[in-house]
Amino acid sequence: METVLSIQKLTKNFGKLCAVNQLDLEVKRGQVFGMLGPNGSGKTTTLGMLMGVTNPTSGSFSWFGEPSTHLTRKKIGAVLEHPIFYPYLSGQKNLELNAMIKGANPANIAKVLDIVELSARKDDKYRTYSLGMKQRLAIASALVSDPIILILDEPTNGLDPMGIAEIREIVKRIAADGKTIILASHLLDEVQKVCTHFAVLRRGKLMHSGPVDEVGKGEETVEVMAHLANGQAYQDDLSVLLQQFVGSATIKKENGIFQVMMKDGFHSQDLNKFLFEKGIISSHLVTKKKTLERQFLEILAEAH
Amino acid sequence: MLHLLKIDLKKMTSYRTFWIICGLYFITLGFSTASGMEILKWIASKFEDFGSSLNVNRIPLYHFPDIWQNLIWFSGLFKLVLSIMVVISVTNEYQYRTLRQNIIDGMSRFEFVLSKVLTNLLLSVMSVGMLLLIVMVTGLIYTPELIWSDMLVGTEFLLAYFIEIFAFLSYALMLGIFVQRSGLTIVLLMLSHMIEAIIKVNLFREGLNPSIGWLKQFFPLESITNLVPLPFARYAFQEIQDYVSITAVAIALGWTVLFNYFSYLKLKKSDI
Repeated sequence: METVLSIQKLTKNFGKLCAVNQLDLEVKRGQVFGMLGPNGSGKTTTLGMLMGVTNPTSGSFSWFGEPSTHLTRKKIGAVLEHPIFYPYLSGQKNLELNAMIKGANPANIAKVLDIVELSARKDDKYRTYSLGMKQRLAIASALVSDPIILILDEPTNGLDPMGIAEIREIVKRIAADGKTIILASHLLDEVQKVCTHFAVLRRGKLMHSGPVDEVGKGEETVEVMAHLANGQAYQDDLSVLLQQFVGSATIKKENGIFQVMMKDGFHSQDLNKFLFEKGIISSHLVTKKKTLERQFLEILAEAH
Repeated sequence: MLHLLKIDLKKMTSYRTFWIICGLYFITLGFSTASGMEILKWIASKFEDFGSSLNVNRIPLYHFPDIWQNLIWFSGLFKLVLSIMVVISVTNEYQYRTLRQNIIDGMSRFEFVLSKVLTNLLLSVMSVGMLLLIVMVTGLIYTPELIWSDMLVGTEFLLAYFIEIFAFLSYALMLGIFVQRSGLTIVLLMLSHMIEAIIKVNLFREGLNPSIGWLKQFFPLESITNLVPLPFARYAFQEIQDYVSITAVAIALGWTVLFNYFSYLKLKKSDI
């Protein structure tokens, strides 16, 4: 697959603070790439360097295999941190200005306003918009030049659950169009739901990079609640019985539910069969794959 | 180039403050430069109150060729209003962080500065046009005997006026880019002449360093003021400089280039 972004040893120091430290990263065409990291981990600084507003201390990067200039930036749609617009201009006029700078076809404006569902408010001044509308206008401005790559930095920051769901839908729709998206966020759930690949940054250093699919692989955890075959409650400690199962690695009890971490190659059906043979019927049996959140915390913990 | 100018004008033309300040600038510029005769008449009436007389027609304020230098010197005082508009225009870009978004959207830092400089050029040209109009109208009304060759004497002051406005707007733009906050920039802009004067007074105190007095003309704001010398002393029978000095033009142009270059350099080096 074609590489759209390649970063080599990118570094940014603010005085003594090293905001981004020797970062190497590659993003390929069609990926929805999530950049994860706690607040202050260097996500925005990295994107700022990629978009020419922050001068790198050292290192380099290339868009589409070429060194970056302002002309390459015209092919990228980006919103960093907050939406930024002229407050005294209407949404429409702001987008006209974006289109002029990007050299985009002004006919796209109506289209992108439709995508983010702002057509009805396009002639109102930007300062009268709600936060959700501002975020949506920002996405519209990023889309106005029909870019090959979209960069979104915390696009759901400060939004209510409905606003978050709306933005997520928009991002999914754009991704379905085959655009490459780089999404910086500290919301793991968001990244897991929309991204295909992800990278984890911590204190400016790359901790991990890989596909989101692989997060769920590896050991499983099975949640169990059970009673006796005759319908009566199981009086003894179920965990003692669960420990006898060859496939269980560790067992934890949380809110009356047993969490069995499975050994490699064992699955919930094996556990179910084992319990049944012991005359016990499970009333609750759920396989839980590792969440990105869990993986994220593990990655950060490893770094200590 | 035209594209960049259009971008900057698009930012401004829906901005009410821009219209108010520019409107006030051109209206006050027009009316006050055109009403010099009325002021003279008022002064004459005061003279009469005290029993003496003043023949206003003997003061050729609006007669060709005097009118050029008279009105242009006076109009130069209004450039502060226009420069405040320039400061607001550029500090807004910092305050709203739109400069950052402009760069993200694909403007180069050079293009950003150039778009502002082009607007400065346009405002300077418009000021010159406005003055040309006022000089022509009032000159034709008040000059008793029109002699074509007289009309053209002194048109060089139009060019000096253009440089004066453009140089000062360039200075305002640079100050805005360095200071980034509108209030502070405007205060510094208004005090610039005073600050420069204090420096000069201390540097060129009488008896101290008499050999470097010629350096004075190289001070940035002084160089802008030197373009159009104060003309009115001639009506008190004093000798004045009634031409544009080439040296003054060269120094002011030099500073103009430097102001704009510093603006670009500052923007190029900073994270925004």
